[in-house]
Amino acid sequence: MNRLETLLTWLSVAFIIVLCGFAFVRKAQRALPFFVAYTCTLLANAFGVSLAYKLFGFRSLAAYYCYWILLLLNAGMRSLAIAELCRYKLRAYKGIWGLVWRALAGFSLLFFLHAAFDAWGQPNHLAMYSLTLDRDLDFASVAILAALLLIHNYYGLSLEPLQRTIAAGICLVCAVDVIGDTIVGNLFTGYLFPFFGANQNSIGSAVIHFYGRINDLWSTIHLIFFMAAIGVWCYALRRPLPARAEAPELLPVEVYRELSPAINMRLATFNDRLVELLKP
Amino acid sequence: MNELTIVILLAIGVSGILLWLLIPRHKSSMPAASSFPANVNNALPTAKHYGYFPQIRQALSVADSIYLRENAPPHVARQALRERRAVARRFLEGLHEDFSNLARLGRMIAALSPEVSREQETERLILSLKFQVLYSLVWLRLSAGSLPLDQLEHLTGLVGRLATRMDAAMAQVSALSVSQLSGDVGG
Repeated sequence: MNRLETLLTWLSVAFIIVLCGFAFVRKAQRALPFFVAYTCTLLANAFGVSLAYKLFGFRSLAAYYCYWILLLLNAGMRSLAIAELCRYKLRAYKGIWGLVWRALAGFSLLFFLHAAFDAWGQPNHLAMYSLTLDRDLDFASVAILAALLLIHNYYGLSLEPLQRTIAAGICLVCAVDVIGDTIVGNLFTGYLFPFFGANQNSIGSAVIHFYGRINDLWSTIHLIFFMAAIGVWCYALRRPLPARAEAPELLPVEVYRELSPAINMRLATFNDRLVELLKP
Repeated sequence: MNELTIVILLAIGVSGILLWLLIPRHKSSMPAASSFPANVNNALPTAKHYGYFPQIRQALSVADSIYLRENAPPHVARQALRERRAVARRFLEGLHEDFSNLARLGRMIAALSPEVSREQETERLILSLKFQVLYSLVWLRLSAGSLPLDQLEHLTGLVGRLATRMDAAMAQVSALSVSQLSGDVGG
């Protein structure tokens, strides 16, 4: 790691500590336990990776395995935090929740299977698998958050400011990581697959140097955006959390059964008339 | 375009949509679904453009156009026709609003229902998307002057019946809500 990366790493650790402090002071674990668990995982990961680098060295195989395994753990915890965001508001609207949770779960499974399929048989299997899985999970996170917000907008519901800010932070981190993981993944599958092997000739060294510079640049960009996201979350947690809104009073099921087909029929008539207007 | 470019463009595109969705908006004229049961009568939309139908009918009538062409100077007749098209476009926008209100009513009822049918929701989504496309086409043809104004008269009749149905729907929802509340209190 260069000096800038070291500085940014320690700064990001400081940011995570502040975030965890805010989360526990505001008792956010009562409203969003998985998000708080995610922040704790971030902290544990930061210390875990630093410890591995200290004990085994930055370029060691042990540190390499430690980094990639913790990256997956991070992605898993973030996925749980996103699932919690999905459930937080929609579960009060039983009909809508019953309709969308399967779709969201199916969507997630699709991305997970795509990652497994994509990484299958790749060289540098752990790094490639982690990178691909992380990238696809990042992409799935952004897509699921977008789907969640579209559903909220469509049904006239609104996410509370805290949840909205958390979603924005996750989106920022994931979008930057998708780009970063894709670039680094391309480097791995390009000239660099024997990166950790012994087969490093003079051309290999030059390429590895080039790879190192690209990787450093992306690490710096990732850390900057990661800290920005943590800053956004800290800002959201600066005030005490509002009391949870009461569950809405639902209408009798007969209202939907009777009115929904009638409304759809009217809407269809509207379209039929517009089609008639367009006929020559 | 290689995979890298596609992924980067996709990531930027999806993030852009997401950030746009995350921007808090002003509250619409419709109340939020969560406040719906408290004020059922005020919450539901009405087809407010229906009130102007007689005037619109008159303004768009073929007889008016013929009268203008026969009796007014050519430049006055042309200007009058242009203005009539502008009125027709605004009326079409009004119809769009009425359609949106009706669709929103459907979505609000769905949001507040303990059970929702996937078929009904999919159908409404497709109908709304179809309406957007058709509306754009009609608007374009109307602006280009290739759509006879008198054809819009068909729509005025439709919206008139729509207003009546929506009034009935409002009454039905009110009655059901009241009976449920009475049942809850009594039970």
